[in-house]
Amino acid sequence: MSGLVLQSVTVSVGARQLVGPLDLSVTPGQVVSILGPSGAGKSSLLAFLCGVLPPPLHAQGTVLLNGDNISNLPPEQRRLGILFQDDLLFPHLSVAGNLAFGLRSASNRRDRGRIISDALAGFGLAGYETRDPATLSGGERSRVALLRVLLSAPRAVLLDEPFSRLDPATRQTIRALTLAQLRARSLPALLVSHDVDDVVAAGGPVVRVGNA
Amino acid sequence: MKFLAVWVLLLSALLPVVAGLAGTVQLDTAAWSELFKTPGLVQSLTLSVWTGSVASVLALALAHVVLAAAVTGGWSGRLRAASLPLLATPHLAVGIGLTLVLAPSGLLLRFLSPWATGFTQPPDWATIQDPLGLALILGLVIKEAPFLLLALFAALGQVPAERLVLQTRTLGYGRLKGWLVAVAPLLQRQIRLPVAAVLVFGMTNVEMALPLGPRTPPPLALVLWQWFTSADLDMRPLAMAGSVLLMLASLGMLGLFMLAGRLVGRVWRFSAGSGRRVTSASGGLMPGGLAVVVGTLGLASIIALLLRSIAGPWRFPAVLPEHLDPAAWSSAASVLPGVAGLTLALGATTALLAVLLVLAAAEPLRSDAVLRQRVAMLLFVPLLIPQMSFLFGLQILLLKLRLDGTLAAVVWSHLVFALPYVWGLLAEARASLDPRFTDTARLLGAGRLRVWLTVTAPLLLRSTLLGLALAFGVSVAVYLPTLFAGGGRVATLATSAAAAMTAGDMRYAAAHGAAQALLPLTAFVAAVVLGRVVFRRRLGVPG
Repeated sequence: MSGLVLQSVTVSVGARQLVGPLDLSVTPGQVVSILGPSGAGKSSLLAFLCGVLPPPLHAQGTVLLNGDNISNLPPEQRRLGILFQDDLLFPHLSVAGNLAFGLRSASNRRDRGRIISDALAGFGLAGYETRDPATLSGGERSRVALLRVLLSAPRAVLLDEPFSRLDPATRQTIRALTLAQLRARSLPALLVSHDVDDVVAAGGPVVRVGNA
Repeated sequence: MKFLAVWVLLLSALLPVVAGLAGTVQLDTAAWSELFKTPGLVQSLTLSVWTGSVASVLALALAHVVLAAAVTGGWSGRLRAASLPLLATPHLAVGIGLTLVLAPSGLLLRFLSPWATGFTQPPDWATIQDPLGLALILGLVIKEAPFLLLALFAALGQVPAERLVLQTRTLGYGRLKGWLVAVAPLLQRQIRLPVAAVLVFGMTNVEMALPLGPRTPPPLALVLWQWFTSADLDMRPLAMAGSVLLMLASLGMLGLFMLAGRLVGRVWRFSAGSGRRVTSASGGLMPGGLAVVVGTLGLASIIALLLRSIAGPWRFPAVLPEHLDPAAWSSAASVLPGVAGLTLALGATTALLAVLLVLAAAEPLRSDAVLRQRVAMLLFVPLLIPQMSFLFGLQILLLKLRLDGTLAAVVWSHLVFALPYVWGLLAEARASLDPRFTDTARLLGAGRLRVWLTVTAPLLLRSTLLGLALAFGVSVAVYLPTLFAGGGRVATLATSAAAAMTAGDMRYAAAHGAAQALLPLTAFVAAVVLGRVVFRRRLGVPG
């Protein structure tokens, strides 16, 4: 069974249940949107899927990715990609350094360099290898962040309001690019957003959490 | 298991203190009754309380007023940059330097003579070691005001100061009053530990009291120091009882300060409700002037050290010596490299250990502000107890274990005083790193160790370098820990400068004091420059 499957997942603080029990199946190429008011536990749900849920939050349930139970794996073995509303490019690394950090395929240095250059060119960022992330525009930074996730060859992608900090024009472009890339690679994806346009563009089923 | 590193850190800091206190605090009734028969004891204790508390209040008030003027006047960056070197300079070096500035034959009167004062001979004034301890108070303020300023700067990160001041200004208050009403109380709450440390140090230090403090009688700490270092071993029980008395007095003053703080807070809130608007166009001038005076005196004392150490004949009203004569350096050349080298090695070892201990313990506490604050309070305990009160007991313990005079014992004693500062800087820097950086890195496929090495460590590099410089500076500065843990046999720049000072060899004292001041300054400059150079093309790296 391929795709991302959540089985009776709950997220709680102490005795108070924030999310769930949630049963959900995301097929390859599908983007499921999660809607809910602030503080409803949407980001906590994503943190649980990543395996980085901070105390005092705790969660239960099973997460299957392409049929494997990943619920108890350390984050680095889950093969999940995540994009936040901040791009979180490592400020001490160049653009190429950031991409190389995530790149999984190819081990020899020259091949890795070529893959990164080709990928940058494909995203309209040819020649950006040695740039300092701090000097890029918001849209450029978003592209590099997306590319970093894609080069790490994830099996599913989580989107935590990744477009909300962008200005309206850039926002549309980046959203279209991101969704097209996810579809082209047949990646299952979960999108957390407040924006109706995001949800419409995602086109997949909508799940509501919290009492909204 | 997860908190192993935290326990190691706490034990490293507190074990010597607890063991030392247990060794010092003894119920020797004979010693106590003899202590109370000591002539001048009450005066000595009064002097300690007076100098320590007045200096603390002045330093705190100065720090608040200058910070208010600097932030609202837009010169806080320069103020911060100017405070760092003063913080880095050892108390002892500033103290010795200040005697060379303030003494009747010092730089200050030379500048004013004879054109303003008419003096052609140094006047017979007690401008240092004065009976009221004013020179000592001035010296303490020069050193502690920058320290409290930097503590306030650190607290500023958690207070929306600019918006609060803007709010009060739109309500019609001048910027100084607006700051003092709306921002200062929020900051004050966060710097209680540093203020307590300043008070206890002010009441119980030897480093400043030795060059600047009164002599007839001296403050209690100086009396105890004379007893502890006396060749007459019968003085030891007396000194131990005295150091317990000093500890009780400083704990009592701490309690009094806490009560006074509450009272001031109440009056403050009451007066804030009066609605009286105070606006003055020159609000920044007076605090700015005070900051310049304090900074200039600090700088002048270092220059005086350098000048005195290389001065040849130097008749009174002349501002500069007739010719330079580096005799002090050449006569010191046979011992100085060894002493400076040992100081350097002790400092480097202390710095490395302090940073490693703190980084390891900060990792599991990175998202727990409450526990971090508790650790900070525990690490501050050694700074809230007079150094002598546990160092002498520690010396006895080390003697029994045959560890006295070993470099390991000296490093450990330095570590006790470096850890609270390094923790304050580095644990907070670790906590303020966005956890999503490391989450992202792990999801990209990197394991814990690789994430720490390739993401956490580089992003903490600048703070780590500053932490190293800070711990190094503490190690170079401390005097009593070296004296006691070293069993009097480990010679650093601090102990050599103090010995020369006691022997009255000002030239030799100035040479060692100058070297002692230059080492930590160099370390700070190196830390800042290196941190800038490494990431000069990466603008987004946290400062």
